[in-house]
Amino acid sequence: MNLLDQFFVIVAVALISIAMLRNIKVNSIVSTLWYVLMVVMLARMSSVAYNADTITSAFSIELLGFRMYWKFTALSWFFSIITVVSALASSLFMSGDWGKQYRQQGGNYGLLQLALILNVVSMLILLASGDLLSLFIGWEFVSWASFLMMVLMPSKTAKKAAVKYVIYAIVGAMALLAALAMVYASSGSLDFTQITDAFIQMTDNMKFGFVLLFFIGFAIKMGLLPFHLWQAVAYAETPGPGAAFLGAISSRMGLFTILVVIVQFIGLGNLEEMNIALPYLNMKSLLAWIAALTTIIPTYIALQQHDAKRLLAWHGVGQGGYMLLGIMMYDSIGSAGGLMHVLNHASYQAALFLTVVAVVYRTGTSDLNKLGGLVTQMPLTFLVMLIGIIGLAGLPPMNGFVSKWMVYRSLLVNGEPLLFVAAVLGTLGTILSVYKLIHNTFLGQLRVEHQQVREVPWSMMVPMLGLSVIVFITGFMPGLILPWIASIQETIGLPVVTYHLGGIEYAKGGLDMIWVSGILFYGFGVGALIFYFLGGKAKRIHQYDNYAGGHFLSSEVKYHYSNNFYPGLMHLIGNWYRGSFKWMENVIVSALSFVSKLFENMYRSRQPVMLLVLVAVVALFSIYKNYSGAGS
Amino acid sequence: MSFVEIISELVLMPLIAFVVGLMMVLMMRKISARLQRRIGPPFFQPIYDIVKLYGKDTQVSHGLIHDIGIVMAVGGYIGAEILLPVPGMEGIADKGGIITLSYFLMIPSLGMALGVGQCANPNGSIGISRALTAMLAYDIPFIIVVFGAAWHYESTSLIGMIEYQQANAWGIIEMPFLAIAGLFALQGMLGKQPFEIYIAPAEIATGPMVEMSGKYMGGLFVMQTFQLYTAGVLYASLFLGGGESWLDLLPKAFLVVAIPMSIAFLFPRYKTEDLIRILWKWPVMLALIGLAFIL
Amino acid sequence: MMKKELKIKSNKTNQQKQKRTNPLANVFDDFIDFCQSKSLFMLHYCTGCGAIELPPAMTSRFDMERLGIQPMVTPRQADILLVTGYVSVKTLKRVILTYEQMQAPKYVIGICSCTVNGGMYWQSYATAKKLNEYMPVDVYIAGCMPRPEAVLEGLNRLKNNIKNDRKEQKGSAWKDYYKNYDYYLGNQQNLFGKEWQTPVDVIAEAKLYGLEGEGTYGENTKKLKMVQHPLLPQEMKL
Repeated sequence: MNLLDQFFVIVAVALISIAMLRNIKVNSIVSTLWYVLMVVMLARMSSVAYNADTITSAFSIELLGFRMYWKFTALSWFFSIITVVSALASSLFMSGDWGKQYRQQGGNYGLLQLALILNVVSMLILLASGDLLSLFIGWEFVSWASFLMMVLMPSKTAKKAAVKYVIYAIVGAMALLAALAMVYASSGSLDFTQITDAFIQMTDNMKFGFVLLFFIGFAIKMGLLPFHLWQAVAYAETPGPGAAFLGAISSRMGLFTILVVIVQFIGLGNLEEMNIALPYLNMKSLLAWIAALTTIIPTYIALQQHDAKRLLAWHGVGQGGYMLLGIMMYDSIGSAGGLMHVLNHASYQAALFLTVVAVVYRTGTSDLNKLGGLVTQMPLTFLVMLIGIIGLAGLPPMNGFVSKWMVYRSLLVNGEPLLFVAAVLGTLGTILSVYKLIHNTFLGQLRVEHQQVREVPWSMMVPMLGLSVIVFITGFMPGLILPWIASIQETIGLPVVTYHLGGIEYAKGGLDMIWVSGILFYGFGVGALIFYFLGGKAKRIHQYDNYAGGHFLSSEVKYHYSNNFYPGLMHLIGNWYRGSFKWMENVIVSALSFVSKLFENMYRSRQPVMLLVLVAVVALFSIYKNYSGAGS
Repeated sequence: MSFVEIISELVLMPLIAFVVGLMMVLMMRKISARLQRRIGPPFFQPIYDIVKLYGKDTQVSHGLIHDIGIVMAVGGYIGAEILLPVPGMEGIADKGGIITLSYFLMIPSLGMALGVGQCANPNGSIGISRALTAMLAYDIPFIIVVFGAAWHYESTSLIGMIEYQQANAWGIIEMPFLAIAGLFALQGMLGKQPFEIYIAPAEIATGPMVEMSGKYMGGLFVMQTFQLYTAGVLYASLFLGGGESWLDLLPKAFLVVAIPMSIAFLFPRYKTEDLIRILWKWPVMLALIGLAFIL
Repeated sequence: MMKKELKIKSNKTNQQKQKRTNPLANVFDDFIDFCQSKSLFMLHYCTGCGAIELPPAMTSRFDMERLGIQPMVTPRQADILLVTGYVSVKTLKRVILTYEQMQAPKYVIGICSCTVNGGMYWQSYATAKKLNEYMPVDVYIAGCMPRPEAVLEGLNRLKNNIKNDRKEQKGSAWKDYYKNYDYYLGNQQNLFGKEWQTPVDVIAEAKLYGLEGEGTYGENTKKLKMVQHPLLPQEMKL
């Protein structure tokens, strides 16, 4: 048994034990320990990540003449560690007081833990897949496990979103299956390497269909445009830590498969040769543009949300665009930035979701118009959210900045001004909406009903703080992550990035985060010296002692600004939110339901004879057509 | 770079920025006075203001985040000045480059936004909402300009850009459209009329500054000096060939800052949506034309 | 009589003032006083007709900015409170709140006769007659209305007072509000009733900055304690 086999044995035992344990307390401790053990196992396998090795599992299945097997590459390891660490944080978060409250409100805690471990297991199976068949099976597991997580909330919107997700997932699976069939038809095998051979033999038109089928399958999972509609609501309407887990990593499985199938085996160079229309528009740039639009449109939808969870979930959709955009640049720093953004996004997104869940735990609402001023009551949660939003907005010194910097740098080097502007537009929209998030929750006037709110207990605080430490450390020393990225690039055939502990070495303008953060903190230090030593003593005052044009403020006066936070901007771009994608979705749904109704009525109709006649006529006509064609 | 050199640059670069920035503030106030046919403030007025504000006997704080906000606002700029190369001192400009610098410049705004947020004054929050919207508006042309410059000089390091210009021709000659668009964006970046809706004293009581007293206000005054200096030197480095010596750089920087100031005091202000509309239309158009020429 | 009282009190404060032994500290204090006199942000509380004299004082004809004086918007930022005209009882509440929200050193200038003695509103039932019964006034500029020259003259006088603050102990009228808070509060209570209070906790401020005097506490502050809803700052809680 090699390390990978041991790892999977542990994962399987973890699944069984969590499913069997009925005692809530034991269950939560045990499940957290299992995740810790998984992290340890992954750490023992870290040679995969540092030396670009591959570990192949001894276990394989012969099925209908196919050999299915599982293996761990640097890419699988990278995604696995993110998955397991996010699961660890979520599990730890829900193991204490949050779980208690969840059960008091009628939630099934055991089922939530089970859903979490099922998600982890299915993702690990997918990530370890060694050929297309195991990939497809893992893919299905992941889809249904996410569905289980989504239906846990009793609300009607959650159910609706989950059903919508399943429909999307089935469409994606169909597309994937069709692509698999194309591979099988051309080579008679479902090995990954057969993708390359099958692709080369195809005609141009078939190539487009082939790539698009794969891409649709994966894009649906990742929520890329135009399949972005299902994700945000479905993730937001999940019980707290579940949302954090799904938001952090679940949809990145789509990116993993894109990396394996499209980047590694079809090859970005091949995509570049597939001209679509003009010399500028080929398959690769089409995908890059899809990525760029994915950063913009969902981000500005997020800006409109007034529910904290939905806002974050929409940003999760938007940030996916950066990852794909970086990878589609097909150079060392761009793809490194895109890959690194997976980890960075997972870390701050999980932290941010957990802070929102913590706020909901204390106040009972995530409606941004019903909160405010909580910073004095929950200062540590505020700190975590601050670190998280700096990461999400991509400002130094947090890790989001490093990966976005690399994507920008690559867009600059490749001379892509419009994509660059699109990426920056996404970032600016993010800054606007994260400020709205932190302002409406933690800053401004404290509401009377929240004056007794306290900081959340340590069982919830520790995972949040841990994640924010990751956000900071990987931003301060990106060189800790970059070796993994470099081995991934080596594995999947991308140019390999040159790095050092502080960041990127690059001719004509690199990045050294140790210096950059150092200077930033030096600046803050000097600023603090100026502030605390040169100025006099300041008196802390109550919020009601405030300038209101001479008006006397008291608890009866609401003196807070939160609703419709950006009226000027919305006045201008509000008209652009036409919901064309929703409209498109509705059109497809109604067309399909119309057709299905039609057939249903035909089958049910009282004149089977007419049906028979109709079928006979069609059959006769086609036979006639066939023969006359052959005759001439 | 030796240790002593680094330490001296860490101290000197922000200090010079502060002193030059004070003179720019004076120039700004003098320009406005002269345009309104007044005499204007005495020479040391910016210093008097700042010393007075820091020397206030009492001042109010709305809490820790209010304090930290001001520290971040001033500290972020102090850090940014070290990323901005000037004659004889390169600081750590080669470790970050222009992208890092332009993101660094958002940190003071974020700090101020946090501090203002804790003040729990809706006037302040409205001001921040408008300021961020304005940032969204002026950063689009600005980022195209940055892209164009980086592409043209084949470098994202400001040192490389300055070297290129000193070896060849100034950016403003080779990229006139981008230079004009950059100037337009600068006007928004400095928050001067007609783009000062987020201050709007008579309407939202100076927006972000509404609850700032004593050293808090003093911090914002210090931040303003850095802001003017950064804008002037950054633009001079991007388009006017930087400077081989201070005598070369300073006139350029002062000239750059003087242009928006002279325009500013002749205009009333735009509404937020009009501000976005105008900044997304004309400078972006100019910048894209400029970009088409150099690509 | 009022004036006398004020003078006596301010003389008392002189003696209490601690002498700094370090000569450098004295230079430093003088420097800050000098800057304070050179840079004055004013908040004009335009209650009456006197406000119309301020635009000419600020704009090109007289140009206040050359004296280092410029308008500001909120009480937090301002050093001078200009009360330009009659103060009705209703307005006075706002003026007092505004004054209390200003940060020391803070100065009050009463412009127009109405602030001195009620002026033409002497017989009005709804007008506060003497502003300095409710807050310490540094300079009065009488006239109905005073011309901009007079306004500038008054501002210059204030500047001189501030410059010589520590030497001649003239300027610090604002300290009187803390040191004799009971007196001012009593006058305010007489006018507004027993329930009168502002969100600003003047006594706590006086305690924090060591500005308490003999007159800080008294009958009236006791009355205030009875009715006050104290507004303590919200502490960060872990």
